Amino acid sequence: MNEALAQPLPAATAQREADSFDALYERTFPRVYAYVASLLRDRSAAEDVTAQAFERAYRKRRGYRPSRGSAEAWLFGIARNAALDELRRRKRRAALESDVEDVAAPALDDQAETALRREVVRAALAGLDGPDRDLVALKFQGGLSNTEIAASLGISESNVGTKLHRAVTKLREACRDAA
Amino acid sequence: MTQPDRDLAVIDVALEQGRATAPDAAERELQELALALRADSAEPRPAFADELGERVRAGFPRTAPARRARSLAGRLRLPRRLLPVMAAAATVLIALAVAVPLLGGGEDATIGGTEPQLRGGRDSGAPPAAESRSDMTQAPPPVPPTGGSGQGFDPGRGRRSIERSASLSLEAPADDLDQVAEGVARVADRQRGFVLRSSVSSGEAAAGGSLDLRVPADRLRDTLRDLSALGKVRSRSESGQDVTGAVVGASDRLDSARAERASLLRRLRRAGSDTQAEALRRRLDANAIEVRRLRSDLRSLRLRTNYAAITVGLSDGSQGGALGGPEDTTQDALDDAVASLQASLNFMLRALGALLPLALVLAALWYGARGLMRRRRESALA
Repeated sequence: MNEALAQPLPAATAQREADSFDALYERTFPRVYAYVASLLRDRSAAEDVTAQAFERAYRKRRGYRPSRGSAEAWLFGIARNAALDELRRRKRRAALESDVEDVAAPALDDQAETALRREVVRAALAGLDGPDRDLVALKFQGGLSNTEIAASLGISESNVGTKLHRAVTKLREACRDAA
Repeated sequence: MTQPDRDLAVIDVALEQGRATAPDAAERELQELALALRADSAEPRPAFADELGERVRAGFPRTAPARRARSLAGRLRLPRRLLPVMAAAATVLIALAVAVPLLGGGEDATIGGTEPQLRGGRDSGAPPAAESRSDMTQAPPPVPPTGGSGQGFDPGRGRRSIERSASLSLEAPADDLDQVAEGVARVADRQRGFVLRSSVSSGEAAAGGSLDLRVPADRLRDTLRDLSALGKVRSRSESGQDVTGAVVGASDRLDSARAERASLLRRLRRAGSDTQAEALRRRLDANAIEVRRLRSDLRSLRLRTNYAAITVGLSDGSQGGALGGPEDTTQDALDDAVASLQASLNFMLRALGALLPLALVLAALWYGARGLMRRRRESALA
């Protein structure tokens, strides 16, 4: 089933689906936004793509199959595709490789040491290639488990573990070098 | 547990607990890095969060133009659960489109299995009366001879004399056989023909019958068409016999006999004695008999070529044919079943042969398109 289904569902089923999607939204909205913003590095574009991703997911919610992975993995897959489409459309490849708008909100009580560490981490993150940054964003901004990342990317869980460890190791070394 | 697995595990612990707890310095460093990465996550504006939350709770209402577009798209698009049905129907249509020409092979449909055979005129050594036979087809115009002196053909003669005959087996319920027989007679009458012989039995034991008709040769096809509408046609065949040679021969002999008669009459007028006159009269009498016989032959031949003979067999549904019995019915049914099964298998084999490569090509295209789309999308990350 998908959005092409125009016939009305039974009221109880439709209500249950709507409640379920509401719960998914409440559970994932900040993480989806953070993940998309991490890929796009643009607040305005991140808002558009996040809204677009949730709307797409809502329209396709009846097409979700639990056997293929968790709802979070399915939703992040949609968000990822929307973000990549946006990147391609706007030719923002350079945005992943260079300094861009600071999308993370600075904390009011940011101390100097914390700010310094943040800058070091961001610089190290900027040094990663696109796929590694995508993986790191799914893990740390998206908050997905390795199993969910594997389902989102369509690769094996062990492959995710290997790639993720490699990316984190690069980050750690970059942070050490910067420090 | 390997080192990478251990590293990932301590990262997960830190993310779950929200703080770095590992006693080992290197692992603790990893945990702090993970927490720093998560802490660096962008947070959405409250206004945006409120706005999107409202849209989610409202079920992403569509704007008026989008609703119109959606309504149009909804009318045009089919539910996904109908897709397998549509795909199956399309597959069957494709299979039919591919297999039917293969099955048909461009051959004419026939009942009875014999092919038109009016081809004897091409052979210079053809018999005087070249017989032709065809099923469900009318004898085609004869092919002009290529040479030879066979009596059966008349080189240079434009119009050939064909003696036509047809046979038709009709099946109808036993109670309706009388009506069908009457219908046959009415058809013959309507086509300006007549019933030469009729034998119909409507008894329960042996319901059936046979009628011999004569109709004008140029109305044979119309007559067969009308007769076929009277019941279920079990078999139908037509045949033609080229009797041009016989007609020409009889005509020539009649002309000769007439010429001889004229000559005898002239000689009789000039006869010098009674004996000579008497001999000439005797020859004239014999000639008159010959002329009458030849006229009769010629008339008979013309009657046979001007009128087509039709034999109509009648049978009820319980019989295999006009003259068939229950054994014939069972055998026929078995033969039909085997033939149908064979035809079905042939059809399926041909359809499979056509569809399998098509399915493989489509699957490869689909797989390739999907991979290409994925690569193009992933290229944004490169």
